[in-house]
Amino acid sequence: MKTKNTYLLYFLVYKNLQLKYKHSLLGFVWSFLHPLLYLLIFNFVFSKAFSNIENYPLFVLSGLIFWIYFSASANQLCQTFIRNSHLIKSLNVKKMFYALSEQGAELFNFLIGLLAFAILMFFLGMKITWNLFYIFPIIILFTFFTFCFGVILGSLNVFFRDIGILWNTLNPALFYLTPIAYSIEIVPKKFMFFFKLNPLYHFYYIMRNVLYQGQPPEIRYTLYCLAICAITFVLALFIYRKTRNGFISNL
Amino acid sequence: MKEPVIELKDVTVSYLHNKRGIYSVKDFILKGGLFSPFEHKTVLHNINLSIFKGESVGVMGRNGEGKSTLLRTIAGIIVPDKGTCRVSIEISPLLALGAGIELELTGIENIKIFMALSGNYQKATINSLIEKVAAFSELSLEQLKMPAKMYSTGMLSRLAFSSVTVVQPELLLIDEVLSVGDQGFQAKCRHRINEIQKAGATVLFVSHSPEQVMEICERGICLENGTVYCDGTSEEAATAYSKLFN
Repeated sequence: MKTKNTYLLYFLVYKNLQLKYKHSLLGFVWSFLHPLLYLLIFNFVFSKAFSNIENYPLFVLSGLIFWIYFSASANQLCQTFIRNSHLIKSLNVKKMFYALSEQGAELFNFLIGLLAFAILMFFLGMKITWNLFYIFPIIILFTFFTFCFGVILGSLNVFFRDIGILWNTLNPALFYLTPIAYSIEIVPKKFMFFFKLNPLYHFYYIMRNVLYQGQPPEIRYTLYCLAICAITFVLALFIYRKTRNGFISNL
Repeated sequence: MKEPVIELKDVTVSYLHNKRGIYSVKDFILKGGLFSPFEHKTVLHNINLSIFKGESVGVMGRNGEGKSTLLRTIAGIIVPDKGTCRVSIEISPLLALGAGIELELTGIENIKIFMALSGNYQKATINSLIEKVAAFSELSLEQLKMPAKMYSTGMLSRLAFSSVTVVQPELLLIDEVLSVGDQGFQAKCRHRINEIQKAGATVLFVSHSPEQVMEICERGICLENGTVYCDGTSEEAATAYSKLFN
């Protein structure tokens, strides 16, 4: 049974990756070009404005790759049940597999990209320390959060098809509300509370601790991230359990 | 008496139906969705059905009378609201043919994915399975290496039918699939179903053609208004079915 599920997941991930890149000339190169292009734009537009940020390119790049991972995963997961509706209707396969495979494909993509960008970040002046290895548990936490968030979107999207549209609208807003292109220091104290309501803020804090400052993640923020993961997980589980039996009547 | 392999007791299945046509958050707000936008539309009412090992049962009924829903319930895809559905044998996943064929991928990739989805994927046997599918579907290896979008409709159904029936199932669920392909392939499909039956499989066969049901099945069921309207030999069910239209 265990191996069956492994094969199933493997082939679904393989399928997602194939579908994404099969007919594009540049294939995987796209996953490097996207952040690279944004890096150039932000560097060009903002580096003067945020000249107080030391090593701005590294700062932006470390933020961008995680953002692209997050937003791509959420976009895919949002549509996953709808896209696989014909399978859901005719095969008795746990629906969670379709979501898992979507996340798996994005994670694979992200890790390949990370490998290439690690080299670039090294040239941009990233400190090489053992602390860099802290990024792996952070990636696991972040992936878990992203997955739960995406499952919530995907489950609701089956019933209300404009959840997907709503998400596409909110996506850029969330991008600018998260300190990716700017440092949180420019935000006035009185708004800080609202910025901290954004779950991504906390992930960005510990992620920058490691990639940008070359330090271990701060314990307090790590605990926040764990708590966010737990809350999102419970929420996702509740919504998914509540809606999954209704999928078939709405697909 | 033999123990039934499929046993449905008082099974009621309903779909969540959106009574005010609320399919988006916009509608939800504008049409006051907070006050229970969903209602249950019952498709199957208190179905009692026992099917024994090795039986072939034809399921007939008018459009929208719950034939596919019955098959999906037995396959475990739909959870009944009331009653119990107990299936004690392994099910082949075929419901609607061609589900899951990804047009961008090649035939071989599709076969592999299908085998993984149906739980039949094993590294050791996959190549021989692919050869068997190729032989039965009469698709050449060259064709199987092409993306499925370049296939004709007939080729697609050949690929799908072959992938589903390549492994001998314990329970074969067929949902109106024998109208596909050319005459030669249709005959081949019927022949393969006969083989599967002879090997001891239980077969559930949804069809609109009384002739096909009489040919393939001994037993027949006719559904009407979400209940079992007639349960007897396939001839009886076929007669009952034809009467519905007079």
